[in-house]
Amino acid sequence: MTAIVNRGAVRCAGRTVTRQEVEDFLYAEADILDHWDYDGWLALFEPGARYEIPTTDHRPGWSPHETGSFVDDDWDLLNARVKRLKSRKAHAENPHSRTHRLVSNVRLSEGDTEDAFRVAASFVVHRARDGHFDAYVGWYDHLLVPTDDGLRFRLRRSLLCHESLAAGARLSFIL
Amino acid sequence: MGSNPRTVPAPMIVEDWDQLTFRVNREAYRSAEIFARERGWVWMHTWLYLGHETEIPNPNDFKVRTLGGRPLIFCRDTAGEVHAFLNSCPHRGTVLCRENEGSTRLFQCFYHAWTFRNNGEVAAIPDAGAYESSDEFRASMGLRGVPRLETHEGFVFVSFDPDAPPLLDYLGDAADYMTMIQQQHAGGMTTLPGTQLYSVRGNWKLAVENAMDGYHFAPTHNTFVGYLRESGYAVTDDNQYAYNLGNGHGLLVLTGHGGRISMIWEPRFGEDERVRTEAHRAEMTQRLGEKRAHYVADESHILFVFPNLLLFDIEGLSIRQLEPVAPDQTDVRAWQLVPRDEDPDTRALRMKTVVSFVGPGGLATPDDIEAYEAVQRGIQATAGTAAPELDYSDMSRGMADEAKGVQGRSIDEGAMRGFWRHWIEATGLDDGIEVNGERPASFLAGRDVR
Ligand code: FES
Ligand SMILES: [Fe+2]
Repeated sequence: MTAIVNRGAVRCAGRTVTRQEVEDFLYAEADILDHWDYDGWLALFEPGARYEIPTTDHRPGWSPHETGSFVDDDWDLLNARVKRLKSRKAHAENPHSRTHRLVSNVRLSEGDTEDAFRVAASFVVHRARDGHFDAYVGWYDHLLVPTDDGLRFRLRRSLLCHESLAAGARLSFIL
Repeated sequence: MGSNPRTVPAPMIVEDWDQLTFRVNREAYRSAEIFARERGWVWMHTWLYLGHETEIPNPNDFKVRTLGGRPLIFCRDTAGEVHAFLNSCPHRGTVLCRENEGSTRLFQCFYHAWTFRNNGEVAAIPDAGAYESSDEFRASMGLRGVPRLETHEGFVFVSFDPDAPPLLDYLGDAADYMTMIQQQHAGGMTTLPGTQLYSVRGNWKLAVENAMDGYHFAPTHNTFVGYLRESGYAVTDDNQYAYNLGNGHGLLVLTGHGGRISMIWEPRFGEDERVRTEAHRAEMTQRLGEKRAHYVADESHILFVFPNLLLFDIEGLSIRQLEPVAPDQTDVRAWQLVPRDEDPDTRALRMKTVVSFVGPGGLATPDDIEAYEAVQRGIQATAGTAAPELDYSDMSRGMADEAKGVQGRSIDEGAMRGFWRHWIEATGLDDGIEVNGERPASFLAGRDVR
């Protein structure tokens, strides 16, 4: 992860993006996911975007394309994942998990390219399923792009801070 | 020992060749007593998969790992030799190494500061003069190694039983399928960092059954099969077979489940990969001969090595290790095994493809886990029932063919039956199986792949 500077705004693609704007985006995403609106969720991505979850033994600098990971979705797989989750035959999520997300500690920084910027944030996702209630805790490490229609994900990455996934805590939903 | 009194009243397995039925007592998945017996018999006496030698490639590398509930240090000493020590200080038992992995010449116990070399010798006992015969005392206080450690094709196995048979004898026909993995690429294979560590709320044997069960593929993985079809690939269960390899080991041979990176191309892999696949296939044929290259490249294998190793030689190669924690809980650890000299594009395609299927975040494994966690919950329904004959799971599929001497299909349950028959022996529950009628001789037929 690149060094994060905590600041209220970042310049990107010729305009200023504020932390409040990013927070609103992340809160809206959490709400969309907690309400199982997967078409709405996919609309938050630019075409060609990625979704990644490294393994719990992940170290800074590891590329998911060179190491094992939990999720390493390119655009095709992300679409396949959404299509699957909307199906009645996604048995691991039928009936659906109930989730409740908290997003916090939002920090902005420049991306590696002119048209995208980096967002770090903390998350806690609580998930109820099969009579159990599990907590998932970690950091987001996203690349966002400002567009005329608002912010969009270029990369959505969830980094767990667990030592391993607890029993029953498989990642069949979106983290 | 099979006659030890136990609280499970009915036979664990009822195998009936007149009715062509095979039934497994559901207590096998629930009972604390059976679980303790597995720990004491199976995990204490068979060979167990510890890890791959490429996980500790350099002198002084180490990983810690738990097998059968015993904390172990899996390390390479300064001279390059591989060891497995109990991760427990010989002084008073403290866990010696509290890091998951790293590199060190010395392991020092924090409690009283005894220090050990990574070949197990005592390096220092503070104030050793306080012990009467300090040299002998010191010599007797080395790290406790596991009684047996042997390696086959980079796969490191240990046994807590000094009298275990040689590893290759134990592996039997399974050994050659591990050799085939090593032969896939001229430069050999290596494990990658990025281990999938997860736990499931299910008995370990349900994970074995699931892996040896082609019957569930189409219904359970309906959404994944849909994804394959949409990407232009035909999926079929035809001409896919199951084999019992002896000693509880099992094999599914699959030719209809998606492609294989650098061996069988399919449209979702893209045009560049098609060119690379053709070149690699030609190289394999030259290196291994047409017949052997065919077995290595053109079919997928799911290999189970009793009791704790699963090798998914499918789109890519996943090593999966099972560690039972409780009757209803299993820790799973999965590593990706990849060609050592792979170009970055193929590697990236491989990782994406493997992870899209395998693991707790994939498009398929979560449904497998859902299935066996649901079994674990569902079988409570018949526990302790007044009609104990209802408290059995059915694994009869394919017995009619087996009786006729026809090779079992991957969508039958023959590989599971082989597992359970061996499980009875390995747990010492010799009286736990009731066999009616005549067992056909053909059910252990092997396979000539050389
Ligand atoms: S317990 Fe390890 S030095 Fe005493
Ligand atoms: Fe499956």
